Amino acid sequence: MGDVTVSELSFRCDTPVVDANVGVGHRHDQPSPFGEPAPLLAEMDRHGVDSALIYPLQGEMISALDGNDGLHEWIDGSDGRLLPTWMASGAPESLVQLQQLHAEGHVRAVRLHDTTSTSTPLTSWIYGDLLTWLQQEQLPLWISLADNDPMELANTLAEFRELSVVLVGGHYTHAPYIPQLLRHLPRACLELSRHETLGAIEDLVTSVGARRLLYGSYAPRYAMGPVLWGLHRLAIEPWQLQRILDGTARELLRLPAEQDESEGTR
Amino acid sequence: MIGDAPVIDFHGHVGNWESLAMLDDPSRMLHAMDAAGVDRACVFNIFHPDGRRGNDATAAFVARHADRFIGFAYVSPMMSDRMVPELERAMDDLGLRAIKIYPPYTTYPLDHEAWHPVFSFAQERGLVVISHTDGGYVSQPARLGVAAGHFPGAFFVAGHAGNIEPCRIQSIEMARTHDNFYLETCSTYRQPGVIEQLVQGAGADRVLFGSDQPLMDPRTQLGKIITADLSDDDKRKVIGGNAKRLLGLD
Repeated sequence: MGDVTVSELSFRCDTPVVDANVGVGHRHDQPSPFGEPAPLLAEMDRHGVDSALIYPLQGEMISALDGNDGLHEWIDGSDGRLLPTWMASGAPESLVQLQQLHAEGHVRAVRLHDTTSTSTPLTSWIYGDLLTWLQQEQLPLWISLADNDPMELANTLAEFRELSVVLVGGHYTHAPYIPQLLRHLPRACLELSRHETLGAIEDLVTSVGARRLLYGSYAPRYAMGPVLWGLHRLAIEPWQLQRILDGTARELLRLPAEQDESEGTR
Repeated sequence: MIGDAPVIDFHGHVGNWESLAMLDDPSRMLHAMDAAGVDRACVFNIFHPDGRRGNDATAAFVARHADRFIGFAYVSPMMSDRMVPELERAMDDLGLRAIKIYPPYTTYPLDHEAWHPVFSFAQERGLVVISHTDGGYVSQPARLGVAAGHFPGAFFVAGHAGNIEPCRIQSIEMARTHDNFYLETCSTYRQPGVIEQLVQGAGADRVLFGSDQPLMDPRTQLGKIITADLSDDDKRKVIGGNAKRLLGLD
C-alpha cells in the first residue's frame, strides 16, 4: 500500500497527486458543479489532490476556441494548482489559437475535442496539421476513448509515431483491447478514471509499466475519490503508485518532480 | 473488514464474457476482495435461461470458497415452466441464498405477471430478489416497485439503483414508498454525490454496496462509499451491515 491517510472509513491522500482529467465550466447542455474554481479546489482538497489538469467542457462539442478563452480565468484564479489542457478542434482557427498560446508560453498539453458527437472523422486529412504541429513541438495530446472512434484513433495516431498521447476515459467496453492498443501506440499512456475491470490496472503495471499510466478522475462526470482510493489498494510498489499518482503526468508536462522517486524500470 | 466494519459485496458474477474482459477467476476476485477489505461477495450466473446450468456453476464456484462467496439463484421467464422447480432445487439442494433476475435478457417488464411465480416464491420464503435496473423499458425501477407493493413479504433490491440519473431518482422514490425496497450501488455512473444522494434520499438502512465484479473492480466501487461525504455509521451500514441483516448472515 502507498503512503495514505486511512482513518478506517475515510481517506485522503497525503502524497503528491495530479488529477490528469478534469473538465471545468458548464457544458452547453449540462451545468457543472465545478462552474468556478472555488468548489473544484475544495473538492481537490477533500481528497488530497494537489493539482489538476483542466479542460473546458464547453469545448468538447461546441467550441474549442471559446472554451479556451474561458480557461484563462480558471488558471489565473487557482494559485497554480489548475493546469490547462487546451482544447483543439478540427478547424484551422483552432490550430492558430493554439500556436498563439504556445508562442506566449502557455501550452504544455492539448486535448482533442469530441469527434464522435461533432461527426468529424478523426483522420489525418482533417487533423494532420494539428497532429504534425504537436509532434514537432513535443506537446502531448490528451484524447478521449469515450468520445472518439477507437479504430480512427488507432489508425490516425499510428501515423504520428513521435507524438505522445494520453488516452482518457477507457471504459470496460474498451478494456478487452486496451493492452493491444497500448502496444499499437507505443508512445501512448492511459489515464485510469474508468479503467476498472477487475485487476486490469495491476495487469497493465506488469505488462506496460506504471510509467505509461496516470491517475485521472474525469470529474465532473465522475467523482474524484473512488479511483484514488482504489489505486491505493493495488498490489503494486510504492514508487509505481507514485508514478501513477503524479510522476507520469509531471513527465509528460515537463514539470519538476515533487519528490525523489526511488524507482525501478517499470 | 475495514476497521471493525464487515464488508459484503452484494453484486458479483459467475461466468465469462470475453468481449467485456470479464473472467470469473476466483483467485483474481479474492485478491481484489482481500486488498479492498471485502469479506464476502454475492455471486450469480445470468447467462443461461434454463437457470440450471448457471446455478450449478454458481454452486460449484461458491463451494470452492464457501467462507467468501454467497450464491444467488437465477431463473428466467423465457423458460417459465422451469422457474419454480429450479428455484426449489437451487435453494434446497444447492444452498443458494437469494434470487437474481435480469430483465434485459427477457421480453417481460418487471411489472409483468410473467415474473409473479418468482416473486411468489420469494414471498413464501422471505427471500431477497435483486434485479438489474436501468432506463430500459423492461428494467425501470418503478416497475420493480410495483412488484414490491404486490409482494410485501419478499425483499427487492434495485441493482445499480437505476443506473442513470432519472432512474436513480425513481429508485429512491420506490424505496421511500415500499419498506421492502433497497438500492444497490454498483455502476459505472460515478458522478460526484451519487452515494450521498442515495443515502439521503432512501436512508442509510436501504443502501447496499455492490461492485459488479469481475466486470468491475471492488476497489474502485468500494471507493465510492469510503470517499463519499457520509458519517462512519452510515458507511458501516452501506458496506456490509445492511447486507448482513437482509441475508440473515452471522
